[in-house]
Amino acid sequence: MLNLPEQELYNPSDDKELVLSVKNVSKRFCRDLKRSLLYGIQDIAGEVFGAQRQNVKLRKSEFWALKDVCLELRRGEALGLVGANGAGKTTLLRVISGLITPDHGSIEVKGRVAPLIALGAGFNPILTGRENIYVNMSILGLSKEEIEDRFDEVVDFAGIGESIDSPLQSYSSGMAARLGFASAIHTEPDILLIDEVLAVGDAKFRAKCYRRLSHLREKGTSFILVTHDSLSIMAICDTAIYLSKGQNVFSGTANVVVNKYEEDLFLGDSGREFSNVGNEMILPDKQDNYGLHIKSVSFRDKNYKVLEYLSSGRLANLTISGIAFEKVNNINLSVIINCLSGSNEEILVLKSSFDDQTFDFDIGKFTLQLQLPYCGLKAGIYSAKINLSDSLYFNILAFVESFKFTVKSNENMSKCSFYQPRNWIMIDEDSL
Amino acid sequence: MIKQRKTVVYSPESRIRNPLKLLSEMWQDLLASRELAWRLLVRDISAQYRQSLLGVVWAFFPPIVTALGLVVAKNAGAVNIGATDIPYPAYVMFSMSLWQTFVEALNGPLAAVGAAKPMLAKIKFPREAIILAKLGEVFFNFGIKLILIIGLFLWFKISITWNAVLAFVALIHLIVLGTGIGLLLAPFGGLYGDVGRLIPLAVTPWLLLTPVIYPVPKQGWFSIVVNWNPVTPLLVTIRDLATTGVLSNPSGFWVVSVLSFALLFVAWILYRLSMPLIIERMSS
Repeated sequence: MLNLPEQELYNPSDDKELVLSVKNVSKRFCRDLKRSLLYGIQDIAGEVFGAQRQNVKLRKSEFWALKDVCLELRRGEALGLVGANGAGKTTLLRVISGLITPDHGSIEVKGRVAPLIALGAGFNPILTGRENIYVNMSILGLSKEEIEDRFDEVVDFAGIGESIDSPLQSYSSGMAARLGFASAIHTEPDILLIDEVLAVGDAKFRAKCYRRLSHLREKGTSFILVTHDSLSIMAICDTAIYLSKGQNVFSGTANVVVNKYEEDLFLGDSGREFSNVGNEMILPDKQDNYGLHIKSVSFRDKNYKVLEYLSSGRLANLTISGIAFEKVNNINLSVIINCLSGSNEEILVLKSSFDDQTFDFDIGKFTLQLQLPYCGLKAGIYSAKINLSDSLYFNILAFVESFKFTVKSNENMSKCSFYQPRNWIMIDEDSL
Repeated sequence: MIKQRKTVVYSPESRIRNPLKLLSEMWQDLLASRELAWRLLVRDISAQYRQSLLGVVWAFFPPIVTALGLVVAKNAGAVNIGATDIPYPAYVMFSMSLWQTFVEALNGPLAAVGAAKPMLAKIKFPREAIILAKLGEVFFNFGIKLILIIGLFLWFKISITWNAVLAFVALIHLIVLGTGIGLLLAPFGGLYGDVGRLIPLAVTPWLLLTPVIYPVPKQGWFSIVVNWNPVTPLLVTIRDLATTGVLSNPSGFWVVSVLSFALLFVAWILYRLSMPLIIERMSS
C-alpha cells in the first residue's frame, strides 16, 4: 500500500465554483439632467424611509440602461462583453462592482472585485510616481503589508525608469497609464473587470500585460473583458455576452457571439448581410463605383473547390474575387494572418510586392490567388486581414478586415508549431 | 490553504430595512477605511504644501490678519466691543482659530466628495475614508494653529490650568458639530451646486452671531440669539477651559454636544444610504 505524501486533494468542483451570479438585473437612468437630480432626491428619500422597491417602472425621461441581464462567471473563466457604444457594458460593470445598486434583480459576488476601469484612481499630479502607487493600491483595497510586498514588482512592471521619482504631472499620458495599469494588475483579485484599457502602452508593454493576465488566469482569477477589439475577445475569452440597448441579446462561446456582434454591426451599416457560406466570405456591395471592390474571399483546393477548412501540410489557395472599376497597375496584395486561438499574435505578414509580384487590373471582374503549396499553419482558428494596395505607397484600395478560417491537422502535428515540408531518406555517402 | 472569500449580495432593497446589518456594515467600513484615510491624508497634505513656498504658515495667517485688523479697528474706536477676560488680541486670535476650525470641519465633507468625484464614480471603496481624511486635515491644521495659540498665551502671559487639556475634548465636540452638519449637506451638495455656494454665504453672518470677535453678550435680544447658536456653548467652553478653567455654561455645552454626536450619526447613515444614488448620477 503506497503512502502518498500529504497533498491538497484536487477538487474538480473548485474549478467550477461560481464566483459571480447576476440574476435579472435591471437599471434605469434619466436622460434629463435636472429631472435626474430631482429623482436623486426622490430616491434618497425612498432609501431613507425604506420604501418598497417592487415593480419599479420608468418615470418620465427615464430609460432602461440594463434590462433583465443574467450572467454567470466561474473561477478562472474569462467572459467577454460586446456591444455597440452605449449598450450598457460599463453600466453592467459598475453594477457588478457594487458601485451602483440595481433597480431589479440581484448580484452575488464571491471574493474581491478589482476594476481595471479607471487607471490611476486617486493619483495626485504633484506627488511622485512612487507615492501615487501607494495611494492607488490603497484605494484598490490593499493593506499596507500587501502593497509593500508588491511594490518592487509594480515599479518594475511599469517600466518607466527613473521617472518613478518625478511628479506625476511630468509624465506623458502613456506613462501615467502604464503606472496605473501596473498597480491595478498587481492587486490579485478574484474577479478582474477590464474595460477597454488593453490598448494602453507600446507593443512590448501590452505583451507584458497579456502575459500577466494569463498568469493571473492560471492562478484562478476570473475576467470580464469589455473591448471593441474582437480579436482580443476571441483570443482571451471562453464565453461572451452581446449587449444591445441594455439587453442580453445573445450569449455563448466567444467566437459565436463576436461573429453575431460583427454581423449586426455591419448590418446596421450597409443594410446587407455578410454570408459565410461553406467558408466562402461574400462581401456586401459598396456604394461607390470606383477603384477595386473585393466581393468574395475563400480558400480553394487545386480543383477550385471551396475548402471548408484548411489542413496542415496540404495545398490551399487563398482566392480573392472582385470587380475593378478602373484600370490600375502595380497593385500589391497583402495578407496578414493572426492566430486567434492563442496569444493573438501576427503569424504571417505576406505582401506580394515583397516577392516582386504585383498585379495589373483591367476593368471588369478579377480573381487573384495566393497559392500555398503546403499550409504551414498548425491547427487553430485564424483571421486574415486582406488588402489590395498600390505597391509604391501602400495606399489601400480595397480591404477585408477579417476573414476567419480554421486549420485542422492530424495528431502528428500536435507537438509542432508549424508544418514543415519534409522527406525522410537514407543516402549513401560513398555514391555521392 | 483555501483563501477565505466573502460573499456579497447587491439588491435593490433599501438598506435601512435591515438596520442591524446596516450598522454592522457601517462599522466594518469605518474600520476598513482607516488605512486608506491615512494615505489620502498624507497625499493631500503633501501635495498641498509641496507646491507652496510658505507652506504650513498658511494655516495661521488668516487668524493673525483678521485679528490685526480688528485690534486696529477697536483701538481706533471704530467698533464697539466690550471687555474680554484675556487681552483682546489673544482673545480674537484664539477665538478665530477655533471658529476657523469649525468652518473647516463644516466644509470638509462636501469638499471631500467634490475632490474625490473621479474615484467615487469608478471604484468601490469605503467612502468613510474620504471623510476621515478630511477630518484628519482639520486636526492637522488645528495642530499648526495651536503653535500660534501657545505662542500667544506665552506672549501675553496668560496663565493656563490643567483644565486646558480638557479643552481639547471640547474642541473635538466642536469639530463633531461641524462635521455633522457638513456630512448632512454633502449628499445634496453632490447633486446640486447651490449647497456649495450657500455654505460660504451662511458662514459670514454666522460668525457675527458667535462670540468670536466680541465677548458673550449678557442681556438683550441679541444675547438670546447668540446663546441659541449651537456653536456658542462649545466655543465658549473651550475658551473657558483653556483660560479661566471655570465653565460658564456647562448645561448648554452638554446639550449641544449630545445633539452634535446624534447629528453626526444620523448624517453618517444618510451619507451611506445616499452616496450610491449620487454616484450613479456622476459621470464616469
